Amino acid sequence: MPVDHLTTTFAALADPTRRAILARLASGELSVTELAEPFEMSLPAVSKHLKVLQRAGLVTRGREAQWRPCRLDARPLKDAADWVEHYRRFWTESFDRLDEYLHKLKSEEKAHARKRRKSE
Amino acid sequence: MPASDARASEGPAQPKHELVLERIFDAPRDLVFKVWTDPAHVAEWWGPHGFKTTIHAMDVRPGGRWHYSMRGPDGNDYPFDGVYAEVVAPERLVFEGTIHADTTQGVWTEVTFAEQGGKTKVTVRQVFSFESAATKGAPIGWNQQLDRLAAYLAKR
Repeated sequence: MPVDHLTTTFAALADPTRRAILARLASGELSVTELAEPFEMSLPAVSKHLKVLQRAGLVTRGREAQWRPCRLDARPLKDAADWVEHYRRFWTESFDRLDEYLHKLKSEEKAHARKRRKSE
Repeated sequence: MPASDARASEGPAQPKHELVLERIFDAPRDLVFKVWTDPAHVAEWWGPHGFKTTIHAMDVRPGGRWHYSMRGPDGNDYPFDGVYAEVVAPERLVFEGTIHADTTQGVWTEVTFAEQGGKTKVTVRQVFSFESAATKGAPIGWNQQLDRLAAYLAKR
C-alpha cells in the first residue's frame, strides 16, 4: 500500500485517546456525545481526534440526521497489521534459519573434535 | 465495552512504537554473537525462507556501515543500508538505517544477547519511522493493544 496511507494510519494510531475511541467503536456505532462521555475532554477536543481518524479512513460518519453516528472502518487497520506482520515474519523465519544454522555449526564442531581425537 | 475499561486498557500514556521479538537458541552466547557479526555466517541465515541475502558491507563497529540486499522468491530486491550505532560483544548490537521495499522506512534495531544456562536469549527490538510531514520524523508504530484490536476485528 502507498506509504502516505500507512503514515496517516500510524500517525492516527499513535495517540492513546484515538486508540481508545477505536476500541469503543469496535463494539458498535456511537454518537460524538456518547463517545466523549468516558474521556475527560470537551466535545470539540473529541471532534478533533475524530477528524484525524476520519482522514485516516478509520472512522466514517453516518448521514442520519441529528446525531450522525461514528462507525469504525477496520480496513486501514488491517493494512497496518499486514505491514507489521511482514516484519514479524521476517524475524520468525530468520530465527528459524538461525536455529538450524547453529545446530549445523555445533554438529560440525563435534565431528571435527572427533577427527582431531582420532588423529592424535 | 464499559467506559472505564476503555481507559484502563490503555496502559501508559506513551504508546510503545516498537516491535519486540525474542527467541532462545541452544548455543553459547559467544557463538550466537559471532553468527550475527560475521558476514559469512549472516548470509547463511538472514531473511525469511526462500530469501537470499548478499552482504555488500559489514563493518561491525560503532559508525561502521551495514549494507545488504535480500532477494525474495519473487525476484525482488529488498536493500537495507545503515550503520552500527553500538557494538558491545557479546551482549548488544544496535543498528539503524533505511529499508527500501514498496515504501522507504527508517528502522532502528536493538539486539541483545543474554546467557541463560548455556543457552542464549536473543531479543530484537525495532522502532520504525516514516519520513513525512504528518509524522515529522517521529517514530510511529505498533503496540500490543493494537495487535489485539486488529486480531479481534479480523474475526468479525
